[in-house]
Amino acid sequence: MKGIYILADYPDKKTFEKELTYAMNSNIDFIEIGIPFNDPVADGPTIAKAANEIAERGYDLLSIIDLIGELKKKKVYLMTYSNIIYKFGVKKFSDIAKGIVDGLILADLPNRGHNFFYKLGLEVDIINFLTPESRDNAIKKLVNAEGDFIYFIGVRGITGGEVDFNNSELRSKYISIKKEIDKKVILGFGVKTKADTKTIMEYADGFVIGTEIVKRQNNYKEFKKYIDEIFTT
Amino acid sequence: MKGFFGEFGGQFVAETLMPALDQLEETFEKLKEDEEFNKKLSYYMNSYAGRPTPIYYAENISRKYNTTLLIKREDLLHTGAHKINNTIGQGLITKFMGKKRIIAETGAGQHGVATATIAALLGLDCTIYMGKTDAERQETNVRRMKLLGAEVKVVDEGSKTLKDAVSSALRDWITNVENTHYIIGSALGPHPFPTIVAHFQSVIGRESRQFFIENKESFPDYVIACVGGGSNSIGIFKGFLDIDTVNLIGVEAGGRSSKIGDHAMSINHGEKGIFQGSLSYVVQNSIGQIANVHSISAGLDYAGIGPEHAYLHSIGRVKYDSVNDDEAMEGFYLMTKYEGILPALESSHAVGYFLKHHKNFQGKKVLLLLSGRGDKDMGIVNEYEKEKGIL
Repeated sequence: MKGIYILADYPDKKTFEKELTYAMNSNIDFIEIGIPFNDPVADGPTIAKAANEIAERGYDLLSIIDLIGELKKKKVYLMTYSNIIYKFGVKKFSDIAKGIVDGLILADLPNRGHNFFYKLGLEVDIINFLTPESRDNAIKKLVNAEGDFIYFIGVRGITGGEVDFNNSELRSKYISIKKEIDKKVILGFGVKTKADTKTIMEYADGFVIGTEIVKRQNNYKEFKKYIDEIFTT
Repeated sequence: MKGFFGEFGGQFVAETLMPALDQLEETFEKLKEDEEFNKKLSYYMNSYAGRPTPIYYAENISRKYNTTLLIKREDLLHTGAHKINNTIGQGLITKFMGKKRIIAETGAGQHGVATATIAALLGLDCTIYMGKTDAERQETNVRRMKLLGAEVKVVDEGSKTLKDAVSSALRDWITNVENTHYIIGSALGPHPFPTIVAHFQSVIGRESRQFFIENKESFPDYVIACVGGGSNSIGIFKGFLDIDTVNLIGVEAGGRSSKIGDHAMSINHGEKGIFQGSLSYVVQNSIGQIANVHSISAGLDYAGIGPEHAYLHSIGRVKYDSVNDDEAMEGFYLMTKYEGILPALESSHAVGYFLKHHKNFQGKKVLLLLSGRGDKDMGIVNEYEKEKGIL
């Protein structure tokens, strides 16, 4: 499962639509669409700056979901922060997104907080996280977890950092997780180069690239070139 | 999810932080009953910070407005504000957890100074995050923190104030959680922080209550405190929550106007939202983006409020009102000229509220919390007077 993270409406609606269309027709398995929030605590400077810009300008979540519905050819996950969905109205969001969106990733919601949103009427699966800090009981809890995959944040840190995907601590943590869990486990945070993706695919089910995509979103040519380079086998 | 006060609170943070929050909760629950820990805590609170703080009868203002105004003097504490109650407590927790480094956010700089002070005292490494706008208007405090040996990281992102300092501190904590403790400065953020901060600040309420008992006096009719994140106010309110005859009043920063971007009134002009770890009232726009906020006082310049305050508001136990920048300045002048006490601009909001509503307090007993001293605010006062043509 190889995926990208792309920030909605960035750098503008038209370019975003063009790039999303390109991604939908590429070799990518799934697409995470970032809905901008102006206090993005889990994001590094690249995504934070871009998200702040779009958040300040304003956007219409409804029309973003509509657009996804129109263009959809892959699995699509929305990635954002709790307040965006909470303020929009959880039930209202669920009714609109159900059937279009395959899952919700909330960067500031820990696994044990999912019920908060389900109780408010959310019928879209929330994707679970694991991290290098996850304790054994937290891992065991996810054996029958909801969602298409588990998002393994390979680093202690924020998006866009430097990570060596070959390091043994990371690998052995990943392997110990897979011993417990049958579900696909996807690596994210810090994936940059073709070499990174090759290393990851030696031992993992998949990866997602975010910061490197967002960096290229304001240049369609560069965006295409990067997608072709990473996702052509 | 744990840590709710009614419907408010919770732990809305990255999964990465959960083991650290669990560890903190376990440690805190153990230590708060631990004899040795509490002995150490009161030793530092008393001999280092200067507790207990006095309650002063403000004779001139009382005479002028035909009332009994009592002032709880947290401004007399070491480092100049109530913030040190919390940093001593959490600094000791850090030591007990075996962590070597503390980080903190700061708005006005008071919490940053209080944290840097404790780092020096306890031999901990220390990094303070401060928004660029705040660092510029609170230059002296930046100098103080550096002199105390802390690294000050100026945050040049977003609104460049407290919100962005908290975000940067959270990012640091996510990255260095193994060896670092985050001493959050107010009664907000994810559980267990609101509870921990309120616990260490509740000494203000305990001492105040004791004052009335020891002097065989009736309890006050009103307790007034300013509210930004809400640590000084929750501290004093805790002493009187169970006494129905004591009216509790929290004063938010009304800023320049009630237009979004001009104030920091989370309860009076915000909506329910999830911000920096908890569900509470948040100043935000129609699509859930956190609004820019303004207050003449850097310490109240925050878009959220602690979740326990949101709860106390929801059950009607505390009345949350506001005064604007000018009214707070009038409070500042009143306290300075009539009592010879220079209040912090944060605390001046409580004084401003008293002044604005002094008719309601005729013949009543009012306990006002002076959470900090105003020396740090001289630059802002100068600027204000220049703008108003007073200087």
